[in-house]
Amino acid sequence: MLWIAIRMLTGDKQKFYGLVFGIAFSTLLITQQLTIFVNLIERGASGVYNVPSADVWVMDEVSRTTDVNFPMPSTALDKVRAVPGVEWAVPHLRAGASVRTSNGDLEGVSVIGVDDATLIGLPRRMAQGSTDVLSTPDSVIIDDVGTTRMFENGQSPIGERLELNDQRAVIRGVADAVPSFTSQVTLYTKYSRALNYVPGTRNRMSFVLAGASDGIAPEALTQAIEEQTGLRARTRDQFAQDGVDFIIQNTGIPLNFGITVLLGFIVGVAIVGLTFSLFIRDNVKQFGALKAIGVTNRKIRGMVASQAGLVGLIGYGLGVIGTVLFIWGFSSNPTFKGFYIPWQVPLISLAAVALILLFTGWLALRNVLKTEPAAVFR
Amino acid sequence: MALLPENFSFARKGLPLVAIAGLVIAALFIWSGLPDRQLEEPERDPPRATGALANSARVAGAGVVEPSSETISVGTALAGLVTDLRVQPGDFVTRGQPLFVVDTRAIRSRVEESGAAVGEARAAIQEAQAAIAEARSAESTAGRQLALYREVDDPAAVSRAEVIRAEGEASAARQRRELAQARLSAAQARLRSAEAQVGSARTELGRATVRAPISGEILAVNIRPGEYLSTSAGGNSQSFIEMGETRPLHIRIDVDEEQAPRVALGEPAIVSPRGAAERQVKASFVRAEPQIVPKRSLTNSAAERVDVRVLQLIYQLPDSDGTFRVGQQVDAFIPAKDGKTPQASRAEAAR
Repeated sequence: MLWIAIRMLTGDKQKFYGLVFGIAFSTLLITQQLTIFVNLIERGASGVYNVPSADVWVMDEVSRTTDVNFPMPSTALDKVRAVPGVEWAVPHLRAGASVRTSNGDLEGVSVIGVDDATLIGLPRRMAQGSTDVLSTPDSVIIDDVGTTRMFENGQSPIGERLELNDQRAVIRGVADAVPSFTSQVTLYTKYSRALNYVPGTRNRMSFVLAGASDGIAPEALTQAIEEQTGLRARTRDQFAQDGVDFIIQNTGIPLNFGITVLLGFIVGVAIVGLTFSLFIRDNVKQFGALKAIGVTNRKIRGMVASQAGLVGLIGYGLGVIGTVLFIWGFSSNPTFKGFYIPWQVPLISLAAVALILLFTGWLALRNVLKTEPAAVFR
Repeated sequence: MALLPENFSFARKGLPLVAIAGLVIAALFIWSGLPDRQLEEPERDPPRATGALANSARVAGAGVVEPSSETISVGTALAGLVTDLRVQPGDFVTRGQPLFVVDTRAIRSRVEESGAAVGEARAAIQEAQAAIAEARSAESTAGRQLALYREVDDPAAVSRAEVIRAEGEASAARQRRELAQARLSAAQARLRSAEAQVGSARTELGRATVRAPISGEILAVNIRPGEYLSTSAGGNSQSFIEMGETRPLHIRIDVDEEQAPRVALGEPAIVSPRGAAERQVKASFVRAEPQIVPKRSLTNSAAERVDVRVLQLIYQLPDSDGTFRVGQQVDAFIPAKDGKTPQASRAEAAR
């Protein structure tokens, strides 16, 4: 009986492909837009996730994100080190600077100063060169997306000379990092050198990165640090969330993407609802005949459900694979560097598809269930 | 379509299969594409408190290694060219050992000059003594002649004029003797003065050689033979030679004034050099500086103005074959007085 329903569905090719297209299109729209939305706002947390080893970030009380920070005096490092439960603590500097390239262009960069001795604060991987290059004088490491912004035509940045705050800087490595929200060029260097590269203010240290001792939860450690030092301490995940929240609060991105996702949903409902009810209406005679030979309403519900299920499966599958192809296709583009599909997003679009199909199926079924067996003769 | 079964329907069988395959591929893609946000241990060891300090109250500070005598910038007493440099960085010298010599040619010629003056004065003394002897013999001859004339009673035997001449000769000889004696004492005074000049020139010669003020190690030599040294150097200019007692070494640890009351003075500190956090040593307490001073920048930044004040603690390092060197930055952990944090004790006081 279900097989009859499937045949009935695929019998009308135009409507069948129309249905599949509707579902696929709204799945694609919802999944792809949600993916880009999530990745875009997670750019606000990229500064935190680029540091792979810090459990806890300590900052001035008024600092909000990795980029919106207020520097502390250098003795704050010793205060943090004095807190029991802190396994280690290192200084971390993040500040903006202007750089003049060898061909005279001016470019805003963010300078990140990592601990001199341990290099804690560098991204996990290097795209070119090794982290040891920071031991040579005046060397900096550039991030890979920044390379494409600063050097056109695939020119290699290694060995390029820059001018930062009247000081010489030589690029000697490329880091594999997730770009920040503004995709600003990022230069990594040692903390002591970063002090020279960034125009001076009285206090320079933006953050203290700390590791928790074994058996101490980062959340408990943040509390201990805040109590003993009076500074603000956040765990890695909390601070990443702070970065995301900052972007949500300060940009129109959530609204924009929310509207697009809603449009996807509405388009899905409109196309699928219209086509499905047309399809059902065209087949009212067949349903009437089925009723006439004694098929129960329950069976008919099952038939419609299986039709909707097939359309949903095909449409959803094509929509998701479309998103995957999109992300995969653009993965080499610097704008989409580090983009990924969060596993929750396909589930959300699955729920949306299910909702669309339930809603339209219910609309269409109302007619069928009311159909008299005599309808077959009309 | 020979590959497919006869009654194969693309819409009924093909598409669902494509969709399922697509979903499987998508699931794999999504799973493998999730970002790696695992926390990891730092590659290089950061400084950390170990042992009993790991989970108890402690105070952390940064410091620099210095000689136990502190660094002595050796100066020069005389300005001049460096002609002889006797030490190299790393040499161990004893107190009084010559370090370098400035140009002594002018001083040596003054020594010779005043030596000649001494000879001259000596000759003048001899001359004066000879003159005295000559005057004395003339005086005695004249005296005897006069006595002879006086013994003659017959006035006609000796003319009056003869007597007067003899009297005159006697007094002239006496005066010549007195003059020669005066010349002698003048020459003696000249000799003493010339000898004093020789002495002062010799002293200058000694000052031209700069000697080690204490026993210790030469840490830096910033002069080379042929360079001109000025005594007014100092202040902001580079010191000529830096030395200090490096057996044992001391470290000067800066502790934030807010943390200073918590430090358990007298307890040993755990110290590790920058970049080699695993090479920790235990340093014994020497003293705390009586004065709280503005924090000296250890960050190499030239124009750092800081209102942070620090308590400076001096600790003595154990023998550590080359792990620590003068001027090196170190990270230190010092036990705190009690387990209470400043905030906790404040809260307790409020209660």
